Amino acid sequence: MILDHRSTTPIYMQIATWLETEILKEHFKQDEKIYSQYQLAEMFQINPATAAKGLTLLGQEKVLYDKRGLGKFVSPDAKKIIKNKRKNDVLVKSIEKIVMEANHLEINESELLQIVQQVYREKGGEGK
Amino acid sequence: MIIHCENVSKSYNASKVLDRISFQVTEQKITGLIGRNGAGKTTLLKMIAGFWHTSSGNLEVFGNDPFNNLTVSANTIFVDDQMAFPETLTLWDLLIEAGRFYQHWDAGLAGRLFEYFQFNKKQFHHHLSKGKKSTFNMIVGLASRSPLTIFDEPTTGMDSAVRKDFYRALLKDYLAHPRSILISSHHLNEIEDLLEDILLIDDGNLVLHTSIDDMREYAIAITGNYSQLDAWINGKEIFHKEKVGINEMYVIMKNDVPTEEIERYGFHISSVSPNDLAVYMTNKTRGGIDDVFDSK
Repeated sequence: MILDHRSTTPIYMQIATWLETEILKEHFKQDEKIYSQYQLAEMFQINPATAAKGLTLLGQEKVLYDKRGLGKFVSPDAKKIIKNKRKNDVLVKSIEKIVMEANHLEINESELLQIVQQVYREKGGEGK
Repeated sequence: MIIHCENVSKSYNASKVLDRISFQVTEQKITGLIGRNGAGKTTLLKMIAGFWHTSSGNLEVFGNDPFNNLTVSANTIFVDDQMAFPETLTLWDLLIEAGRFYQHWDAGLAGRLFEYFQFNKKQFHHHLSKGKKSTFNMIVGLASRSPLTIFDEPTTGMDSAVRKDFYRALLKDYLAHPRSILISSHHLNEIEDLLEDILLIDDGNLVLHTSIDDMREYAIAITGNYSQLDAWINGKEIFHKEKVGINEMYVIMKNDVPTEEIERYGFHISSVSPNDLAVYMTNKTRGGIDDVFDSK
């Protein structure tokens, strides 16, 4: 991943989102140790404090848990928590934008649903 | 606590260069000192390094008044493009002497950087180009592993490839050997990812001291219909506003308004990079370069 500096999303949240995706892809499994703030700092060329903030965020959301002195680990419910959060935060928000854009373009509901179905047939199942 | 600065001022003759600056820097952080030309960055750094006296106020580095202090000078290195080295020593001799001077010197790192940047052992410092001088000074600064490492505009004259290498080397070495680093630069966009904290000074005053993560969220940019947006910002704290396009306005303001409220008006929100924010926050009263031409 390359950090997007023009985005309104702060760097530490981009790091958190990237880690979430890694967990969803099962590059990190349940109870597996995740990257440390120093490894993330090195990988993304950022200050370790920024990386730590991303890890802390995932700790607060219970995606990661702490083992004192050993670092942060993927919690058993991690995937469920991430999927839930993304459904509400990312998916619903994205759809709101799409619906607003459809309004601008005077595309009605059934036309929009058709487009969604078509895209789903083409792209669905990708990115798993 | 590495640096404790309380109401520190510095005047030359009648002009005040720094005016009652107060801040504290805790251990093992990379702090960026940002400000425009003549804002007082070098003056502040040289007082912290113990090169110059303060005019008034209380300045402590490692718990000591830095001026003429042995503890401070043994634990601090000040790197800029005017570092003075003995003219009779070759570059390689300079590295060997530096190794005798700095307690934590890493000769291996110095040697590897020296080779990577293709210096010649028999060259002399005063024969180097501007960019090469800065590169060599940077090597000394990194290899010294000083508990307080100060870089004052370290990339002067470096081309962009060397600057990138420098930032990477700085971060890698910091991760392996955490220490307190102060770095001043005009290129905030190039160094912002490296920084933990930022000190923004303008015209001798401290404008902002915050973490870089908070600075990224400190302000937002709003674009919208000129008259609507102009009415909406009335009474709000604005860092910058300008007319764009035919009848649109671009405003930078403090990020303390709910997104929903802004979107309800149909305004567009975008982020403000720390670099842009620094420029706008230190440019408040002077208008823009356009004014120079428009008032002709």
